[in-house]
Amino acid sequence: MTTRWIATGLCHDLPNGVVMAGRWHDTELAVWRSASGKLAAWKDRCPHRGMRLSHGFVRGETLSCIYHGWVYGTDGGCKHIPAHPSLVPPKAIRAEAFSCVALDGVLWLAPADVSEAPPRLGGLRPVRSLSLTCGLAALMAAESALAGKDILRGSVTFGGHAVEICLLVQPKPDGITLHALCGASADLVAVSRWLEALRFKAEEKVAE
Amino acid sequence: MIAPEVLNEWYPVAMASQIRAGQRRQTQLLGQPITVVLTDGAIAVQGPTGSFPVIERFGHVWTCPGTPAHDLFTVPEVDQPGRRLVDVGVVRVKCSPLRAVENFLDIAHFPFVHTDILGAEPHTEVNRYEVQIREDTDEVWATKVTFYQPQAAKSAEVGIVTEYMYRVPAPTVSVLYKTCPVVPGEWDVIGIFVQPLTEELCDVWPYMALFDDVTPMAELIAFQQMIFLQDRSILENQIPRLLPLDPGMEIPTQADLTSIAYRRWLKKRGLTYGAQMVAA
Ligand code: FES
Ligand SMILES: [Fe+2]
Repeated sequence: MTTRWIATGLCHDLPNGVVMAGRWHDTELAVWRSASGKLAAWKDRCPHRGMRLSHGFVRGETLSCIYHGWVYGTDGGCKHIPAHPSLVPPKAIRAEAFSCVALDGVLWLAPADVSEAPPRLGGLRPVRSLSLTCGLAALMAAESALAGKDILRGSVTFGGHAVEICLLVQPKPDGITLHALCGASADLVAVSRWLEALRFKAEEKVAE
Repeated sequence: MIAPEVLNEWYPVAMASQIRAGQRRQTQLLGQPITVVLTDGAIAVQGPTGSFPVIERFGHVWTCPGTPAHDLFTVPEVDQPGRRLVDVGVVRVKCSPLRAVENFLDIAHFPFVHTDILGAEPHTEVNRYEVQIREDTDEVWATKVTFYQPQAAKSAEVGIVTEYMYRVPAPTVSVLYKTCPVVPGEWDVIGIFVQPLTEELCDVWPYMALFDDVTPMAELIAFQQMIFLQDRSILENQIPRLLPLDPGMEIPTQADLTSIAYRRWLKKRGLTYGAQMVAA
């Protein structure tokens, strides 16, 4: 069974008025926030001629495709076709929506029919995301203090302090992306350095 | 297995001047390795099992990996005196050769992809135009295409309504005729010749035969290259990579009549290399 909710990024990486590429297992998505902060995630394919919507641009409460400028509202429905300015687009023209939720500083994705809520990570602070060219096994081999499968947790000691660490695992075709959170009082710069050292060690494991 | 309908067509594979200058071009055609060389003063194309027929036309080398079903098309206008031929070179694009041609046939993207050059908001409307499959030559034609353009060509200084005619004379070729800003009543001729390396990779040779004896050649080349690199940023990001020929996967509008006719024409003639037949 595939996990329903997958973290695709941290909230501070998606300000209002911005679109970014996301991924839920093998499905590529466009994830965006309107000017007023409404969040939406759609399959990364414009229904018109297949252009990636993650290359589009946000104007107010709409996302426009970069190819022919078709305008979509936050509900996924096409609102305007610039080649035919006076035409009201048929209701059938819509982007294929996924569920997207911002919770505890994390952007979560799931198929539209998901019924449960995303996991809670209360009391933790988002740090950063980083991509690894290795898989989960190499990561676990590199750091024995972490346990879990999609959400790795553990207490790691550096600089003489024990720091609570939480890594959200997002699978991708050529490795994994980690979205990292840490205990509320931890030093973010130190955690970020530790993460980079961890990446180096995990990728080395594969090279061995 | 590649369909005979696909093998029996002509494809561009090199610039004749480069081969004549003694360069050999090792490349691919429909997934097969080929070599374009000069032997005893003649250009030859060698495939895996022997040599292929060759035609030199428009400054390019054309070949057919099967048995040619018909002659290679002509563009009589390019022989008019006073035209300048612009050698823009080749651009490698990670896309289906058919998507590259379809994009060339499209005007609705001008304001968004070639912003402030070939189009600009709010002039986004695509007026009705005419599309036909010409029975005698079996070519797709679109005529009476008009569009407002801020800078229609390197030589255009103010915005004008440009008129276009589009033509698909071969499965991986398109030629357009557009209002010439320099000589009223004449048409500039611009084309793309697409070499299908594989179903998802092509070499594209932009082609221009213009009435413009003012603009320096380097500027003409730079202008066309800029336009085409903007198109490439689209072509490498369409999903799926292959061109869907069955309706249902993508939603066209009236502005896409040329693309609809091109897809139907490809499907009817069995020219499915680079196409996706069933919605995935
Ligand atoms: S592909 Fe998106 S508007 Fe045409
Ligand atoms: Fe274009």
